Amino acid sequence: MSHNLTSNFLNTPPLKNGTKRLDTLFSAVVKFSPKLLVAILILPVLGGLLGVFLPAFGWLPALDRTQFGLQGFQQLIQTPGIAQMIGLSFFSSIISGLLAFIMTILLLANYFDSPWLARIQGFLGPILVIPHAAAAIAIAFLITPSGMIARLLSPWLTGWQSPTDWLLPHDPYGISIIMGLTLKELPFLLLMTLSAIAQPDLNLKLRAQYRVALSLGYYPITAFFKAVLPNIYPFMRLPMLAILAYASASVEMPLILGPNTPPTLAVAIMNWFHDVDLSLRIKASAGAILQLFITLSVLLTWWLLEKTTQAIISKSLSNGQRTYGDTFWTKIINIFTLLLSCFITLALLGMVFWSFAGYWQFPLALPGQWVITHWQSALLQIQTPIINSLSIGLVATSIALILTLLTLEFEKQNGAQLSRFSSVIIYLPLMIPSIAFLFGLVWLQEAVHSKATFINVALTHLLFVLPYVFLSLATSYRLLDPRYAQVAAGLGASPIKIFLQVSLPQLLMPIMMASALGLAISFSQYLPTLLVSGGRLNTVTTEAVSLANGASRRTSAVYALIQMLLPAIAFSLIWLMSMRKKRQKAQAKRNNKTASYITKVNR
Amino acid sequence: MSHSFEINSLQIENLTIMRQQTPLLSLNETIKGGEVLTIMGPSGSGKSTLLSWLTGMLPKGFKADGQLYLNGANITKVASYQRNIGLLFQDALLFSHLSVAGNIAFAMPKSDNKARAIKISQALADVGLAGLENRQPESLSGGQQARVALLRVLLSQPKAILLDEPFSKLDSQLRQETRQLVFEQIRQHQLPVIMVTHDESDAIAANGKVFHLKTPQQDI
Repeated sequence: MSHNLTSNFLNTPPLKNGTKRLDTLFSAVVKFSPKLLVAILILPVLGGLLGVFLPAFGWLPALDRTQFGLQGFQQLIQTPGIAQMIGLSFFSSIISGLLAFIMTILLLANYFDSPWLARIQGFLGPILVIPHAAAAIAIAFLITPSGMIARLLSPWLTGWQSPTDWLLPHDPYGISIIMGLTLKELPFLLLMTLSAIAQPDLNLKLRAQYRVALSLGYYPITAFFKAVLPNIYPFMRLPMLAILAYASASVEMPLILGPNTPPTLAVAIMNWFHDVDLSLRIKASAGAILQLFITLSVLLTWWLLEKTTQAIISKSLSNGQRTYGDTFWTKIINIFTLLLSCFITLALLGMVFWSFAGYWQFPLALPGQWVITHWQSALLQIQTPIINSLSIGLVATSIALILTLLTLEFEKQNGAQLSRFSSVIIYLPLMIPSIAFLFGLVWLQEAVHSKATFINVALTHLLFVLPYVFLSLATSYRLLDPRYAQVAAGLGASPIKIFLQVSLPQLLMPIMMASALGLAISFSQYLPTLLVSGGRLNTVTTEAVSLANGASRRTSAVYALIQMLLPAIAFSLIWLMSMRKKRQKAQAKRNNKTASYITKVNR
Repeated sequence: MSHSFEINSLQIENLTIMRQQTPLLSLNETIKGGEVLTIMGPSGSGKSTLLSWLTGMLPKGFKADGQLYLNGANITKVASYQRNIGLLFQDALLFSHLSVAGNIAFAMPKSDNKARAIKISQALADVGLAGLENRQPESLSGGQQARVALLRVLLSQPKAILLDEPFSKLDSQLRQETRQLVFEQIRQHQLPVIMVTHDESDAIAANGKVFHLKTPQQDI
């Protein structure tokens, strides 16, 4: 090299003042953001709980009640059917959770070492982003007396010529709720587990141990249960608890699929809060406290189940038995998987059929007439809800992204992960039933700034969006090779330059993925939107739920489909982008081969 | 104070790095411009910990005593990005979202873009990579990537360079060529260099002082 590359390196110009100020500002923002993140999650939840606690014990100044007492709880106990409400909430959540868990581990056990695992993952993945309300509507259409299942089985098997009166949906035992919840929980649990065990080190270890077990003569399913599952379960526990907590207090599923007399406790609480008789608020608040206890006891029951199972099976892990009817179970699981896929496909197909159906006579499996009028009229009315859904989702997701990225940057700069306390706080809005704190939160928000409906709704969505955005980005951010930042620092790049020009571009795909997830979570929120806006802000989801039990199944199908399409579009865009990136990478690799060939020729 | 205020020098004065309470390593060395100090030792002996102290990125759980002087200025407490110490790893670590020229431009001080582009093209031509400005880093071979990484460090105008197993991923023919190029450039620029390696031939090629780190005492 003839010219001197470092001719002026001894008199490097001093840093400009502006640059220095920006650096100080950035480091202050980064230092502050974990605290802000925790505050944004914890304050509304605690404030909301307080706003429910006080009225529950009789303190409600708005109604001139300022004496503490237990009237709310007395009224609650005297409510007809309260025991059934509690039973419905408790058993529908624990049974659906258990079913989803069993199905997940059976699928994992049967397909652990097979290409079908990836296929099942690809099939169930999209279901994860289907909002609960839309999924409930699809299942209701499937199992109702005039639904797809009845149509396919009639009249050749059932002999029905017209829809018969049968139990489902809205059955008093909550079977429909359990079906709905299980079907939504299964993909969540499976995908969370798969993403946990996809960590390179763990994955290698698990696969090696599985092979060892196989080589020792263990049949595949037994090998999975004895050698792999004990190592995987710790990663399933937290998602499992989140599922149970959600199910015990969910509103959309029981509202669309559950019985009305009496409904689940969460639905009853919502009705009391919405009653024109304001004095019911005290009973509703007491109900919210009861709901907290039910959720807690569901989680405790799971913990007990876990410990008991562990105690019972711990010895049989090393008893040397190589098979427990593996070949039989393989067949059963294969058949079950097939049925499950049919069930899901039929549910979705049925909804598409209804949305285009003109005259559709029972028991024909296809509509007699195909029309687009339902779509036309729905699209005319749904514009404002779509705009609302999008704008709320974008605001909540952007705030969540910025906070998450800055917090993870703080972690990276300090070379340590968040404290245990903070990591637990991130799960808080997922663990505490929203029905238990949302009413208190609404009360607080009205006290602070009642007019800003949009901001209030967006900030409440943030509570539910933030945990998912954080969880989905944390892994990729923590896996980022730290040497890139070190090299950049060695090149003189300031922390803010490293953050913006090195870390963020490398995380482009995970960031896009997290944004799509955040949007999907925001789109699907029903209760927060309804309560915080007081019904003044309609989104696609609130419209779909309010139409679900209405007169027109066709309109309802269109709304549910639009509700599914919003997140689907977001995820398809990401998928297209990642495909483009992959193609570019492949192109670059091809160029690489040509380049090294040319170099060799030149030598 | 004993340190001489030489222009181009990197001076490690009475360094002791502790892990929790146990001392991990001690070092007291001066590297003059154009010289290479080679650090050798088995894994776990603290090679990468030493490098992270030199760059001001000592991880939690470690404590360090001692001073670091670069060209006479005490930089022990200076932020890593203001130290002017460049790093080269065994992986080229080129930013895949930037082109070859973009990677080098990222490192250069801010100035007229045209002048920078000319400088980049000249530098690329000097190491046999003429015309590759707009290529994506992934489309280059391993040896080409290593050379771009070297240019990136040199054009950032560092005052010292740290090499962390810089050649261990290259095959032997390429390894010799790249090593020769790196040492040649470093001498030309009269930069003090610390190289961490476990390859004897790297140490010989560096032709400088070699410091051996001991195996860590095993806790019983």
